[in-house]
Amino acid sequence: MNGSVRSSAGLVWRHQRLVWWIFAVNLLLAWLASLPARATLSAVLDHSLESAKLVTGFDVGTFVLLLERPDVQLPSLASGALGASLIFLVYLLFIDGGVLAVYVEDRKLSRAEFFENSGLFFWRMVRLALYSVVPFGLLMAVNNGIARFAGKLWDEAPPDRLGFFVYLGGKLLVVVLALFVRLCFDLTQARVVRDNERKLCGTLWRSMKLAFRSGKLYASYLGIGLIAAAALALGIDVWLHLPHSAMGASFLVLEMVTITQIASRLWMKAASARWVALLPGEVALAPSPVVDVVLEVSEVQGPQPDWPLPE
Amino acid sequence: MEIRCWRICLIAVAALLTASGAAETAPLSERVVAYQIEGNYDAKTHTLDATELLTYTNKTGVTLDRFPFHLYLNAFQPKSTWMTEAESIGNRDSEKGAGWEDKHFGSNEVKSLEIVGVGDVTRQMKFIAPDDGNSDDRTVFEIVPPKPVKPGESIQFKIHFVAKFPEVLARTGYKRDFLMAGQWFPKVGVWWNGAWNCHQFHANTEFFADFGTFDVKLTLPAKWNVGSTGLETGAKDNGNGTQTVSFHAEDVHDFAWTTDPGMIVVEDSIRLSTRTVKIRMLVQPGHMASAPRYLEVLKGTMRKFDEWIGPYPYAQITVVDPPHGGGAAGGMEYPTIFTAETAWWMPKSLLGPELDVEHEFGHQYWYGMVATNEFENAWMDEGINSYTEVKVLDALYGKTTSLVNSRLGTLGERGYQRMTYAAMADSDPLSRPGWLFLDSHSYAAISYAKTAVMMLTLENLIGEKTVLHGLHDYFDRYKFKHPAPAEFTASMNASVGQNLDWYWKQTIYGTETLDDRILSADSERLDWYSRTDEKKGITVYQTQVVVQRRGTLDIPVLLEVKFDDGSTVRESWDGKDRWHKFAWDRKAKLVSAEIDPDHGNWLDRDPFNNSWCEKADRRATGKVAGYWTLLTQWLEQALSWLA
Repeated sequence: MNGSVRSSAGLVWRHQRLVWWIFAVNLLLAWLASLPARATLSAVLDHSLESAKLVTGFDVGTFVLLLERPDVQLPSLASGALGASLIFLVYLLFIDGGVLAVYVEDRKLSRAEFFENSGLFFWRMVRLALYSVVPFGLLMAVNNGIARFAGKLWDEAPPDRLGFFVYLGGKLLVVVLALFVRLCFDLTQARVVRDNERKLCGTLWRSMKLAFRSGKLYASYLGIGLIAAAALALGIDVWLHLPHSAMGASFLVLEMVTITQIASRLWMKAASARWVALLPGEVALAPSPVVDVVLEVSEVQGPQPDWPLPE
Repeated sequence: MEIRCWRICLIAVAALLTASGAAETAPLSERVVAYQIEGNYDAKTHTLDATELLTYTNKTGVTLDRFPFHLYLNAFQPKSTWMTEAESIGNRDSEKGAGWEDKHFGSNEVKSLEIVGVGDVTRQMKFIAPDDGNSDDRTVFEIVPPKPVKPGESIQFKIHFVAKFPEVLARTGYKRDFLMAGQWFPKVGVWWNGAWNCHQFHANTEFFADFGTFDVKLTLPAKWNVGSTGLETGAKDNGNGTQTVSFHAEDVHDFAWTTDPGMIVVEDSIRLSTRTVKIRMLVQPGHMASAPRYLEVLKGTMRKFDEWIGPYPYAQITVVDPPHGGGAAGGMEYPTIFTAETAWWMPKSLLGPELDVEHEFGHQYWYGMVATNEFENAWMDEGINSYTEVKVLDALYGKTTSLVNSRLGTLGERGYQRMTYAAMADSDPLSRPGWLFLDSHSYAAISYAKTAVMMLTLENLIGEKTVLHGLHDYFDRYKFKHPAPAEFTASMNASVGQNLDWYWKQTIYGTETLDDRILSADSERLDWYSRTDEKKGITVYQTQVVVQRRGTLDIPVLLEVKFDDGSTVRESWDGKDRWHKFAWDRKAKLVSAEIDPDHGNWLDRDPFNNSWCEKADRRATGKVAGYWTLLTQWLEQALSWLA
C-alpha cells in the first residue's frame, strides 16, 4: 500500500537511528539552553530548606516567589530556550535532505552520502521553510480570529458552552488544515530530493495537486497525528499519576513522550517520501556528485574507462 | 373560670411574644438614614425610573448646613474620575489602557430633588469633586438646604432619578437578562470624625455609607427571580407582564438587588449560636454543579465566623451567581447579599468558588457591620477580611491546599497572600487612601495581601488565639460604628494586653519590608592549628551563624540550628541591628540553620534565604531545571514544524 501508515512506520523503524539522533540533538540543545537556569536555581535552592516544597510536592506559591526573585530573570532564560529552538530548526533543515534520501531510497546511507545529500539540499529546504511561513502564518491569523470570535461567544452567547465548542471546533479545523499544508510541503521536499528538483514553486504546485488527489496519504497524516496525540495524552496521564518526588521516572516518561512526537513527525515524512518514491513514471535518483565529477573528468580527458557507466 | 384562665394564658403568651419580638427588632445600629424607594425597571433599556424618599436624622451633635450625595453610576462615563483612573492605572476588572466601550455607559440622572416641606431644590444641586477637582466627574453632588438641620432634627429628601445600568462593569450592571443593581440610588454621605465624608468614585475604591433602614418596592418583569439585601416582604403580579416586589432591610448601610429570569433558587438554612439563618442562593442553570460547593463553604464559613468573631444577626443571607460573561459583577459584597463566581468547567481542584464565597461572606462582618471607610482605609475591610479568609479556608480545606489542590501543584491561602504581597511589598503603605495607590496591582497587594500576612506574622509574635480573640473584641466593640485605624489598633492593644504600636507603626503606616537571611553558617575546628585528624564526637567545633537584616522591618528573630549529633538549639535576636552573630562551641558540626523555623513570619519576602543546609540537596534544582529543559524541547519541536 503506497504511503500507508504501516509501511511508513516500518520505514521509520528500520532507520530508527534518525529518530535517536534527532532526539539526542533535541535534548542536548535544550539541556545546554537550561544551563544558565540551572546555575541560577542552584544558587538559590541547593542549600535552602525551602526547596523541599518543590520536591515532595509542588507548591505554587513557593514557585512564584522563586520567579519573583530579582536574580531569577525569566525573560533572559526564555531567550535561551528560543535560541535553542532556532538552532534545532536549522539543524533539521540541514539534515532533511539526508533523511529524505534515506526514506526515498529506503536504504542506509553512509555518513558521507547522508551529509552530502544534506548539504546539497539544505538551501532548498530553507527556501521551502520560508515559503511555508506564508500558509502557516495565514493559519495562525485564522486561529487568532477564531479564538477572538469564540471568546466573544463565550461572553455573549446565551448558551454558556457555545464559545467553548466553537473554540474547540476552530482549533481542530486549523490543525486539519495545518496537516494538509505540512503534507504539501513534505511531498515537495521528497520530490526535490528524489528528482534533485530546483524549481520549487512548480514542484510545490504539483505536490499540492497530488495532496488533493491523495486522500489516502492525507488520511495517513491524520492517522499519524491522532496516534501522536494519543501517545501524548497517555504519557501525560501516566506522569500525572507519578509521585512528585519520583523525578527520575517523571523524566523518563516525559522524554518518551518527546521521542514519540519526534518519531511521529518522521513518520509523516516517511509516508510522503514513500509515496513520492513509488509514483508512476519515477525519475532516476539524482546521481551522486562524486560520479558526476568522474564523468566530467573523463569527458575532458578523452578515452572512456573500461568499466560500464551508470545509465 | 376555665374561659378566663384561657384568656389570661393567651394574653400572657401574646405579651411574651410581643416582648421577644420587640427585643428581636431593637436597632442594632444608630439608624441615621431611612430610605424608601419605588422604582420601575425596564429590562430592555436596562434603566430604572425611581423615586426615593430619604429621611436623614441628624445624630452628629452639630448643625448640618449641607448634604453631599453619591451618584456612583455616573462614574461609567468617559471623562469621569473613575474611567480616567481605570484607563491609566487599571482596576479590578481591567488592565490599564483597556479603552472605552459604549456598552459600559452608566448614569444616575436626578430628574428632580425636593426637600419635603421646603420645595424643589433641583437647581441648587451642585456637583463637586472633593478629591481631584475633576469638573467632569458627576459622582458627588451637594445640596445646601435653606434651613440647616440641628442635632436631633430630621430632613427629608425626595429624589426622582433614573438609573441607567452599564453592561457589567465594576460590580454592577447587566449581562443579557441578568442585572446586578449595586450603587444604583442617590446615597447621602457619612458624617465621620467631625466632617462630611463623601468621596468621588475612584477606580480602586469601594464605598462608605451610614446605617439605617430600607423599604424598596420594585416593578420588574413578571416571573423573573429576584434577590436583594434584607427580606422580601411581598410580591404582586400586576397582570401586565410585570410584578411588583417589596423588600425591607434594617441596620444595613446599602441596598443591592438582582434579577434574572433563569436563575434557579436553592434554599437552605443553618443553625448558628444565636439564631437560624436562611440561606438563599440564586444559581445559573449551567452552574448548578457548583451549588453544593457554594453551600458547603458558606456553611463552614458562617460557623467559623460565629465561633471566632461573633454572631450573624440577620435573618437571611443571599448568594447570587452571575452568568457567564458577567464575571465583573462577581465577587462583590453588599449587606446580606453577595455575588460569587464560578464556571461550568470549574474543577474541584481549583477552589475559586470557595474563595469567593468565603471572602464575600467575611465582608458581611467587616464591611457590613463594622463598616469602615473603604475609600480611606481599604485595608480595614479588605485586608482584615483577607486574613480571616486565610484562617477559614485553611481550617476547611488545609493550609497548603486551600486554593489549589491538584496533581500539578498545590497552593494554600497563606502562600497565595504572601506571593501577592511580595510582588509589590514596598509600593504603598496600608494607610494610604485607596485612590492614591500606585496602581490597581499595588492596591490589591497592599490592601488585601499585606494586611493578611501582617496579621499572620502577628500570630507568630503573640499567638494565633490571641489575635483571633483580639479580632473578636474589635468586632464586638465596633460593629455598626465605622471605626478608624487608631480605634482598631487601640482595641487590639487592649485585647492582647500589650502595646503593639511599634508593630502597627511599621506595618500599617510604613512601607518597611522584612527580609532576614542567613548570611553565613559554618563549623570550624576550635583547634584549627592542630595537625591531628578530626574525630566525630571528640573534636570540638565552633559553629557560627550570621543572620542579616536586609529589610527595614524590625521584629524579633528566632534562629534554629541543628547539629550532626542530633541536637538542636533555638535562640532569638531582637532584630535591632543590621546583623547578628551566633556562636556555639560543641563536639558537633552544623547541619542546618534556619530563621523563623516555625514559618510564621509571612511578611518575609524571601523565604529561600532564611535557611542554610551544609549538605547541598540538588533535587529541587534538578526538578525545576528538568522541566525547563523539557519545555525547551517541546518548543524546539513546535518550531520544527516548519522543517
